[in-house]
Amino acid sequence: MFQFARFAATRAGLAIITLIMVSFIVFSLMELVPGDCAERYLAFKNTQGSGISVADIEAERNRLGLDKPYIVRWGKWIVNAFQGEYGDSCILRLNISQLLGEKFWISLAICLTSLLLAYLIAIPVGIISATSKNPLLNNSLRFVSYLGLAMPNFLLALMIMLFSTIVFGDSLTGLFSKEFRDAAWSYERVVDFLSRAWLPVFILGWSATAFAIQTVRALMSDEVGKLYVLAASARGVSGRRLLWRYPARHSLGPIINSLGFDLNRIFNELPIVALILTLTEAGSLLIEALARSNDQQLAGAIIFLLTASIVGINFITDIILALTDPRVRRSILG
Amino acid sequence: MKAFKPVKLALPVCGGVVLMAAQFGLSGAAIAAGCPAATVADMKGVPAGMYPQQYNRDEFEKLANCKLSLKTNPDIEKLNKRIRGNGDLPPLAERIPEDALIVAPYDSIGKYGGTFDMLSNATEAGTSDFLAIRHVNLVRYSDDLQTIVPNVAKGWEWNGDYTQLTFFLRKGHKWSDGHPFGAEDVKYWYDNLSMNPNIYEKPKDFVLVAGERMTVDVIDAQTVRFNLPAPKPGLLVHFANSYAQGFQPKHFLGKWDPKMNPDADKMAQAAGFENGLDVLNNYYGNSDWTDTPSPMLRSPDRVGKLPADTHPTLESHILVAESTEGRHLVANPYFFQVDTAGNQLPYVSEQDEIYVNEDEVRLLKLVNAEADFKEQSLQLSTAPLLLENQEKGDYTVHLRPEITMSTFSFNVTSENLEKRKVFGDLRFRQAMSVAINRAEINESAFFGMGEAKQYVGFSPPPAFVEEKWKQHYAQHDPKLASKLLEEAGLKDTDGDGFLEMPNGEKLVINMQFAVQGVPAALVELVGQHWAAVGIQTTVKEVTPDEFRSAQSANKLDVSMWRKGQPLAVILGTNEMWVPPYQDYFNLRTAMLWAEWVDTNGASGVEPPDYAKQLMDDINAFQSTPVGTPESDRLGARLVENMVGNLLFIGTVQVPAPIYHRNAVQNFVEYKTHSYEYYRSYPYRPTQWWLDE
Repeated sequence: MFQFARFAATRAGLAIITLIMVSFIVFSLMELVPGDCAERYLAFKNTQGSGISVADIEAERNRLGLDKPYIVRWGKWIVNAFQGEYGDSCILRLNISQLLGEKFWISLAICLTSLLLAYLIAIPVGIISATSKNPLLNNSLRFVSYLGLAMPNFLLALMIMLFSTIVFGDSLTGLFSKEFRDAAWSYERVVDFLSRAWLPVFILGWSATAFAIQTVRALMSDEVGKLYVLAASARGVSGRRLLWRYPARHSLGPIINSLGFDLNRIFNELPIVALILTLTEAGSLLIEALARSNDQQLAGAIIFLLTASIVGINFITDIILALTDPRVRRSILG
Repeated sequence: MKAFKPVKLALPVCGGVVLMAAQFGLSGAAIAAGCPAATVADMKGVPAGMYPQQYNRDEFEKLANCKLSLKTNPDIEKLNKRIRGNGDLPPLAERIPEDALIVAPYDSIGKYGGTFDMLSNATEAGTSDFLAIRHVNLVRYSDDLQTIVPNVAKGWEWNGDYTQLTFFLRKGHKWSDGHPFGAEDVKYWYDNLSMNPNIYEKPKDFVLVAGERMTVDVIDAQTVRFNLPAPKPGLLVHFANSYAQGFQPKHFLGKWDPKMNPDADKMAQAAGFENGLDVLNNYYGNSDWTDTPSPMLRSPDRVGKLPADTHPTLESHILVAESTEGRHLVANPYFFQVDTAGNQLPYVSEQDEIYVNEDEVRLLKLVNAEADFKEQSLQLSTAPLLLENQEKGDYTVHLRPEITMSTFSFNVTSENLEKRKVFGDLRFRQAMSVAINRAEINESAFFGMGEAKQYVGFSPPPAFVEEKWKQHYAQHDPKLASKLLEEAGLKDTDGDGFLEMPNGEKLVINMQFAVQGVPAALVELVGQHWAAVGIQTTVKEVTPDEFRSAQSANKLDVSMWRKGQPLAVILGTNEMWVPPYQDYFNLRTAMLWAEWVDTNGASGVEPPDYAKQLMDDINAFQSTPVGTPESDRLGARLVENMVGNLLFIGTVQVPAPIYHRNAVQNFVEYKTHSYEYYRSYPYRPTQWWLDE
């Protein structure tokens, strides 16, 4: 038990170090881009018709503390970030924690639901397709999954929107309908949210499922042919029992391992889909902050939260793996 | 496009109430009951008043020989209940000023109700389109974009030398919370907000005259006077076309300023805020921009402890909900405008705004008629699709000219001395201008809908701009270009087909651009046109940030960005005429001349005489009333020096789409697609109504 705790603590420590390193890279990349927060903010104010001089930019720079050395600013930022405090958005001048609020959880929920959906479908379907000899089934599964892999998500979103606009006269955009947009959370609002959230989950889930099916199928195909499976079947284990107890369990390790990676991939795809569907969640805010308003503070906070989620998931999968896989368990517990 | 006449500022000097009082002293005719529902289309025999399309109430009742019977939106009680902090409503007569502004609708007396749907890009981004629809200010540009007419103020008066501007406000005018509005609110805005170092680090240019502050005197509850340290006829223009309103609710915002209320900090802390100024900032956003995030978005956890969700307004609608998805507004029950039939405006009960920042999605929503109006962010490139679906979507698209156009400027103070010599040679700049095939650009980049032009400084050009300048060296003439380049000493010495500079050094012009400033297709074509006359070019797209920083660091060979200002704006700011000829975010050139000017000649490069003449003339121009022969003479000389020296090379001015659903009634075709007159404000959106 002590060894296991030590293992968990080491993993947690490594996760935190990873997070700090990533934050340093993110912070440095933002530093390399020409123009800082002061300039961005005043450029934004300029589009609203106020005349601005270089002296204004300098004054703003001093006010924001941007004249301080880079390492000092990063240090301050990272200490605050671990306490869940990300300062104010550069452009909007709103507190980022309040601005993000539930948005990050909505994004995470959409991604995790897509991920869950993907594996709920992919694991059985992948196993069937790896072991089935039916060419029609195999080919149609392959077709659907290649389609999911090949078609860009934003195109799928645009096509669904266009279809819905022409047929139903509703462009299916937004996370809430008009009457619930500004309302407090209630049962009706949740229902309203679900009635809209299925679309991004579906779009993100399709390509994730396609990807996961390919993974499961490849792993299974690899395992089914191995000698231990042959040996098991020679001992009379057969059918579903054989698949689940032997090759499927072996394939599970790499799949659990790839969960964090898959979440990252889904989250990477979320902003574009969210932008098209005008979902106001963290993904679209990230694109907005990175590509449109150049809001370093906001983008940094979202990327930090995202990294934290992925590192967190990886930590959890490591632990799960240690608990489920006897080989890993034995290597830790000795 | 038809030339615009100059703004007649000379007339309103004696305008406003002074003249009106004299006019109505002779009242006495019998009054007929009920007023004719006069519209701009059919005035029903009511003679024109002092100003186009609107009257003060007493003026209208006198001219139409009637007594207005007042009516209000039947849902107004319900709407008022949604404004948190508002009490019960008094009767309509107590909600509107005694001398309300009477608005003649364009076509019809409207019906109350409906929700006006709008698209903006994001919080505070791309929102002026929507803001202008509920906007009010002391005065307004009429839809001819020449005449300034009363709005919140019922009249104004200049003294003889334009150093005192007095506004007359409306008696009984009230804020959206029912509290009286008056001269104190104007003084409060100027003294306690605009000039307050706790609010603005540095006062904005527009609240200063020649760099110095004004003073504001409250003459009586409805009369307020600005005392200017120097003549500035453009101050009135500012109150007509700026987003910044010359008043703020003293009774509401003032109580959060510790200097005005000793309990301010205590009250603020009780509500969970740091101090009074923190609350003030939550409401006012420390900016005159009218949709800075409200406490509903900024402090959603604490807004409930504040007396209201947003500060009171004089605008036609008031904010009742705000999130990062959009905003919702309801009609202001105390709005000061009334139509000719006695109906309190606005007709439209509610407004809803959602944020869409993706061009394709915006287009899809417009084609699907999910918005009632859109001007901002619509580019010419979207016109074919929008026009094609007009009938199906039951909407109308007007293509109207923009004020700015894509403009080029060679770096006449380049760090490379040989380049400085070449770019500084007028013949080189003339050659580059005639080398551009503007007709081809128009056809291939703008569907042939644009107009080839030279840059003349004023857009649209006022009457004092002589015809010859509008196309000065704007013809396509590669032969002339080659001849001018030869005269300027450029020769192909190494035989590679491109010209070298007089000292034999290779000349390659790097054309860096950002699509936010100029369309890529246009830059590529101009690059080809210049190459065709022997000037080697490379084209490279960069981010706006990179472009700006390179431009101001004096690292570009040629700058390119959209450029152009109307007369109304030039009266208030001289930046287009003084090196470096605009601010950090726009098209600049001659950075070293600017340094010379800023350091009084201590460093930098001395500008040529014409540049010095431009500086003298713009300052004289701004202190001279527009429309006078002296002003026209100065204006003409500004244009002569600017265009004659081709510091800026114009290309093609293009129109852009303005979209409205056909359900929007009393909609008039706009003169321009532009921000400069504050978008829809001149076209009176408060009298729009929804026929659904």
